[in-house]
Amino acid sequence: MSTLLNSLTTELRRGTLTLAVLSQLRTPQYGYSLVQLLEDSGINIDQSTLYPLLRRLEKQELVTSSWDHTESRPRKYYVLSELGMETFLQLREEWIKNSKQLYGLLKGDEEDEFN
Amino acid sequence: MNLIEIYIQEVTRRLPEKSRTDIALELQSTIEDMLPDDYNEEDIKDVLGKLGNPAALAAGYRDQPMHLIGPRYFDVYVSLLKMILPIAAAISLISIAAEFFLDFNHDETLLNAMLDFIGYGIWKLIEVSVQVFFWLTVVFAVIERVDKDKEQHPLSPSLKPWTPDDLKSITYIPKKKAISKCEIFGSLMWTAIWATLYFYADQLMGIYRGGGEGLEFKIPAVNQDILLGYWPVVVVIIALEVGLALYKLIIGQWTKRMAIFNTVLELFATIVFIFILMNPNLLQQEFIAYMTDLFSISAAQFKNWLLGGIMITFIIYAVISIFDGIRKSRITS
Repeated sequence: MSTLLNSLTTELRRGTLTLAVLSQLRTPQYGYSLVQLLEDSGINIDQSTLYPLLRRLEKQELVTSSWDHTESRPRKYYVLSELGMETFLQLREEWIKNSKQLYGLLKGDEEDEFN
Repeated sequence: MNLIEIYIQEVTRRLPEKSRTDIALELQSTIEDMLPDDYNEEDIKDVLGKLGNPAALAAGYRDQPMHLIGPRYFDVYVSLLKMILPIAAAISLISIAAEFFLDFNHDETLLNAMLDFIGYGIWKLIEVSVQVFFWLTVVFAVIERVDKDKEQHPLSPSLKPWTPDDLKSITYIPKKKAISKCEIFGSLMWTAIWATLYFYADQLMGIYRGGGEGLEFKIPAVNQDILLGYWPVVVVIIALEVGLALYKLIIGQWTKRMAIFNTVLELFATIVFIFILMNPNLLQQEFIAYMTDLFSISAAQFKNWLLGGIMITFIIYAVISIFDGIRKSRITS
């Protein structure tokens, strides 16, 4: 893939990452379990952006975190806060609306091409 | 194991003290999660490779921007730089010129002194520019880091979001009426030059002769005592010229009022200088004698020729300046 296409794709994906992460944090997750969850759904995520993102979400009070020392090694669990839940639902609405519009736009193009 | 610790250290040393322990713990736990149960060094390298460059990871954790001046302040920064640099340069040049002429001594040849002045002037200009650039950049870099507002839109002069109403507070300046910074700088420079020539006429204007060590000042052309007798009125003219230049700088375009100011100033200055030149004792007798010998003409002829020439130059320059000002102030677009 050319560098330009690469950077454009990254740009497209960047905004969706937050939404993807929020969607999986309705149940408590630690860093690596979150990566696995996302990868299972086919979302390939750069881990060097994910961990800082979690801390940023915590700072924005969208998620809360707690250390769990009961397992073999201590793990930091993240879960959506009330504000996070609200924000996630709104973001999801927004995303679905936008992707429908964009789909309509792109679909139109495709039909034009074939006509 | 060792590689992991070094990696964590490489990340946390770039972070603020208070968040280091927590991030280190979390990273440690994450890396161990990523490793298989029975791992070797290759596995560790693989995992650390996925986490990427420690500098990039640390940058992700840090809230501070990875640039000096971001989009919000860049526009204001550049306009301030453009405004302050020429002003600072002009002030430093004028002060150097003043200092230089106050220290001017008779033993030094004018040419050598001039070369000294140019060299020193260029050096000082570079120094002032670097200083202005440095301090302005530092101030903006600090503002960028202190401002917690995540707003990315460029800052408007009113410090509020831009609206079309902001355009009303900006005067529209047609190109033909505009006064360039160069023009203002040039006129200030010209004032500085002629003022220096006036106050140090006996040291600068006269006969030079090529000697052993460059140019040698031989005979002064004018009677400095007579010339300096007019100093109060000359100071008034200097003040008015500087005032006009600053007025031009502020308004930025020719207006009717400015054209009137310019006309009055040019007329006044021309009359004063013609009056000074008419003084019969202005020129040194020695100088007149030298020149009449050189060109083999009579003293009266020489005086008429020299002073007449200067006066005509003065008048032509004044007339051009007056008409140019009036013409530009009349342009409507």
